[in-house]
Amino acid sequence: MFHQTTTKTVTILLLFIGMAIYTVFAGFYGRELVIEAAYLVILAISLDMVAGYGGMVSLCHGAIFGIGAYVFAILTGMMGISPFIALVAAIAASGLFGLFVGAVTSRTSGIFFIMTTLAFGQMVYVYTFENRALGGDDGMSGVARLDLSMIGIDTNDSLQFALLAVVFAALSYAVAAFIMRSGFGRTLVGIRSNEVRMRALGLPVLRYKAFAFGISGALAGLAGTIAAQQTMFVSPEMMSWMMSGEALVIVILGGLGTLVGAAVGAVLFVFLQHEVSEVTRYWHMVVGLVLILVVVLGNRGAYGQIEHLLERRKKGAPKASALEVAAEKDASHA
Amino acid sequence: MLEARGLKKSFGQIDVTNDVTILVEKGERRVILGPNGAGKTTLFNILVGELKPSAGTIHLDGRDVTGDTVEARAKRGLARSYQKNNLFTELTLKENLALAVATASGASGWFLRDTLNDTDILAKVRDVAAKVGLSELLDHPVDAVSYGARRQLEVGLALATDPSVILMDEPTSGVGPEMIQGFHRLLKTLPRDLTVVIIEHDMDLALDVADRVSVLNYGELVFEGTPDETRGSSLVNEIYLGGRADA
Ligand SMILES: Nc1ncnc2c1ncn2[C@@H]1O[C@H](COP(=O)(O)OP(=O)(O)OP(=O)(O)O)[C@@H](O)[C@H]1O
Ligand SMILES: [Mg+2]
Repeated sequence: MFHQTTTKTVTILLLFIGMAIYTVFAGFYGRELVIEAAYLVILAISLDMVAGYGGMVSLCHGAIFGIGAYVFAILTGMMGISPFIALVAAIAASGLFGLFVGAVTSRTSGIFFIMTTLAFGQMVYVYTFENRALGGDDGMSGVARLDLSMIGIDTNDSLQFALLAVVFAALSYAVAAFIMRSGFGRTLVGIRSNEVRMRALGLPVLRYKAFAFGISGALAGLAGTIAAQQTMFVSPEMMSWMMSGEALVIVILGGLGTLVGAAVGAVLFVFLQHEVSEVTRYWHMVVGLVLILVVVLGNRGAYGQIEHLLERRKKGAPKASALEVAAEKDASHA
Repeated sequence: MLEARGLKKSFGQIDVTNDVTILVEKGERRVILGPNGAGKTTLFNILVGELKPSAGTIHLDGRDVTGDTVEARAKRGLARSYQKNNLFTELTLKENLALAVATASGASGWFLRDTLNDTDILAKVRDVAAKVGLSELLDHPVDAVSYGARRQLEVGLALATDPSVILMDEPTSGVGPEMIQGFHRLLKTLPRDLTVVIIEHDMDLALDVADRVSVLNYGELVFEGTPDETRGSSLVNEIYLGGRADA
């Protein structure tokens, strides 16, 4: 079950404050990295909600992310609609798509669930790739950024836009954490832990799974709108299965089922990608090695390992219930 | 009340449930006896909807629930505990019970409130924990408590949904005599209008708590009667009590 522990609070605050401070002192390129990290934080958190807490490992979150980006791009770039309305519409569209995928896939589990989500993702990718009206494989430019001039924020300024992206990431974490510690979040963990028992207790499990997928999709869509605004350009690459795979790598790198781990993983991933690609073209191999290391070292991820060490519960003999304790006393008296 | 008529189920060639009719009155304590493999658990699985019968009907409080899902029947007040522990293993006992209470009370969809931090839900959790003797262990994860405690939790989860009919599948299997007595006491404290169906191997417990006894053998209902009639039945002695007939 999710608890906003001190470890979580301190880590996530340090992470976001660190990102903000770095943004202020970084140059243009550094700020681009921060924006990329910020939307990956959101995407990874949205994936962790279903994969880490709900046990639904999705390989279509890249596609949902892309739907958010494309809806935002179509509405602002092609139709000239206000970015605010486009933002809401993009989040709604990705949420609805998530809900739909969730409703269809919720009957399956394990490898079949994963493959079905992959199929959905590929369908979206291929459709976008082949659709000339959406720019096909060339993608689409002319995406607008949110206009926040009425509160004195210039989103065309690299510093201000990067800080805005960090704020969105922080808000996303807050929303996800709030949901995970609500009755709904608890229920989701119950489903992951024992779906059969949840059903026996009277829960319409499929509906809950679909709904969780919808919420997660909405968040993934938000991440997509930030990516689209960053480069003011969208392309089918954003929704390829590589993107879904990357999101999953990030969550595992940081620590599945911790939320904070997803955020840490995203920053770590962007950092690794940047630092290593300076040195070698084979940076994916290095990320792969780090991933293998994480899995071999107990599968908890970078943040998950820290949390485990700090909050490790005392191991001991299995705790007996009062009746058994009484029984043992009687036996030793006899 | 619970009424099952003409239930049939077969796995391959074997009829595991063969034309079983069982009518349980509201508030009745019914014990189901039968040798290993007689089809007792299968009958429970059919009653709660985890298995679909090939024939027969099931009514709950006069309503036909034969086509209803597991969760729909549970919502109508039908709860069950499992012969093999079927718990939320990595969660604490408190979290286990809170999931059951929240699901039954409609709090599982709360978005703005935490079910683990709600006074009503926690009061109910403590209440159930006290009933099944788990008050001291609430903060321990299931995988850190004894087998006996897990058996108690298995029944606790079913009770926590405030059912009107509860089916318990060998609740005391594998536990010591003290816990069997503890369970015995628990049964006596259950509300009188709760309908209880228990699959039980412990004959003394079974005959002491039962209003009526049903005996299954090779998927068929071969006997039904009061505890006294059960004791006196040569058929039951033959197929179930075996050598213990005159003990
Ligand atoms: N899913 C299944 N597929 C095939 N056969 C099954 C299945 N479930 C149960 N059986 C068989 O059906 C028969 C009845 O099983 P069931 O579990 O209902 O017996 P039981 O009376 O509960 O026995 P026990 O006292 O050992 O718990 C057994 O022969 C069992 O092997
Ligand atoms: Mg059985």
